[in-house]
Amino acid sequence: MLGILQFLKGYVRMKIWGVSPERFLNLCSNKNILLWDICKEGEAYTMCISLSAFRQLRPIARKTGVRVVVLQRYGLPFLLPGLLKRKIFIVGLFLCVAFWIVSYRFVWDISLEGNYQITQEVFADFLASQQIRVGMLKTELDIGALEKEIRRAFPEITWTSARLSGTRLEISVKENDAPIVIPEEVYEGGRDLVSEYSGVITSMIVRSGVPVVKIGDMVEEGTLLVEGRVPIYNEDATVREYKYITADADITVEHSISYQDTLPATYIRKTYTGRRSSRPFLRLGSREVKLPMERPYLVYDTVVQGHTPMVLEKLSIPVSWGQYVYREYMNVEHEYTLKQAETLLVEKEMQFLATLEEKGVHIIEKDVKIEESSTCWTMEGWILVDQLTGRLVPTGMESGADQAPADSGGNVSVDGVE
Amino acid sequence: MGTPGICGNEVSMKRKQAEGLSRREAIIDSLSLPKDILLGALRVTLTGSQEAWVENYKGILEYTECQILLQGKNCQVCFEGQRLSIEYYTNEDMKISGCIRCVRYQ
Repeated sequence: MLGILQFLKGYVRMKIWGVSPERFLNLCSNKNILLWDICKEGEAYTMCISLSAFRQLRPIARKTGVRVVVLQRYGLPFLLPGLLKRKIFIVGLFLCVAFWIVSYRFVWDISLEGNYQITQEVFADFLASQQIRVGMLKTELDIGALEKEIRRAFPEITWTSARLSGTRLEISVKENDAPIVIPEEVYEGGRDLVSEYSGVITSMIVRSGVPVVKIGDMVEEGTLLVEGRVPIYNEDATVREYKYITADADITVEHSISYQDTLPATYIRKTYTGRRSSRPFLRLGSREVKLPMERPYLVYDTVVQGHTPMVLEKLSIPVSWGQYVYREYMNVEHEYTLKQAETLLVEKEMQFLATLEEKGVHIIEKDVKIEESSTCWTMEGWILVDQLTGRLVPTGMESGADQAPADSGGNVSVDGVE
Repeated sequence: MGTPGICGNEVSMKRKQAEGLSRREAIIDSLSLPKDILLGALRVTLTGSQEAWVENYKGILEYTECQILLQGKNCQVCFEGQRLSIEYYTNEDMKISGCIRCVRYQ
């Protein structure tokens, strides 16, 4: 800050020598003249002094017998006379300032953050429908109304904030990340729980319904596990009526899953030839100007290197430039070695097992082998798992009055049976 | 109860005068007043061996690359070292920078 003030007021670097330079310094300080960067150079002293103070030096220099020479001039008062002669420069400077002042009245960039489900494109369409676009006047923007409209148009957005930072409209949203609650379907009748897999039951916790199997039973896919039709008995142990409920239980079944995965024997790898060419571009808003160029290579990929000027961090303008870099490559076919194939297949298998574990499946044992054929590598085998099972199916409606109680599990609504 | 206290202060002041302090210095010392303001004593603040701030000086007596001699009210202080320069110099204070080896009072 002090440096800026000194620059605006102007200062000089001077050299003094003579009879009593120390006395010169003391007299300056007595007259409240600030001296800085005082250095001794041989027999002389060099120092900086403000322009206004420099004009008061003559009597001091005469009194102390010191000679004063200006070495260098710094600051605006020395620059201005030279600048005023350059009329085009002055006009350019004024135009530049006018440009920035006018530019500052518009929105030149719109940023969105916090969106996961709503894509940028969908949001851009929404903004376009609200007449909010890059290049609009800031005064036309009603931020409160925009926030309200965002919340109305996107029910999944629970919180939104829009603010103008310089020439950038920054929109922050927060989407509802609470788990989606699927309303339970209401059945008029009851629902039974049937097995999804074929295997041996290893544990059972029945919360509602009548269990028809027990731990250690062998079940097939589709076997009834828990019945949703609960008999209500008379005092003489005959069935008075059936109550239809939705069966609910945690039943795990030990069963094996067959696993198979293949990997092609060969793969294509990009091999860059080292040849590359670039094509500069200039982007003004949505328009792009590129230098004319023919297709550079037969096979190539493109890297865009762009630069967006950000003036004073707040003033972003819709101008960017850069270059397209085209890099030639060849598709070279390689064969997987046994080690590479093993690594890749094991990695994929681990991913599969991790996915199973995420679903709560307990892996007991696995046996997989890798085999090579002429066209591919194959990994196959089986995985023994302990997995929750149970799929709800509608209970068959019956008029069940006056029936004897069932042999297996005659309990009504068993809680916590294992 | 006040008399023994006054007597005690007088005894203490006499002891200080006997140590070579002037009556004024002894009073300022007894009342724990700032000496740099009341006596105009030199105030030197050193930051490592590279920077020194000096206040309450009268002026520069000698300035070379190896030595800066300042006049205080009652004494002189000499900064010795190498590549000594004065970053700023005003009526109130000054800042010396360079490689300060020794600060000597004369």
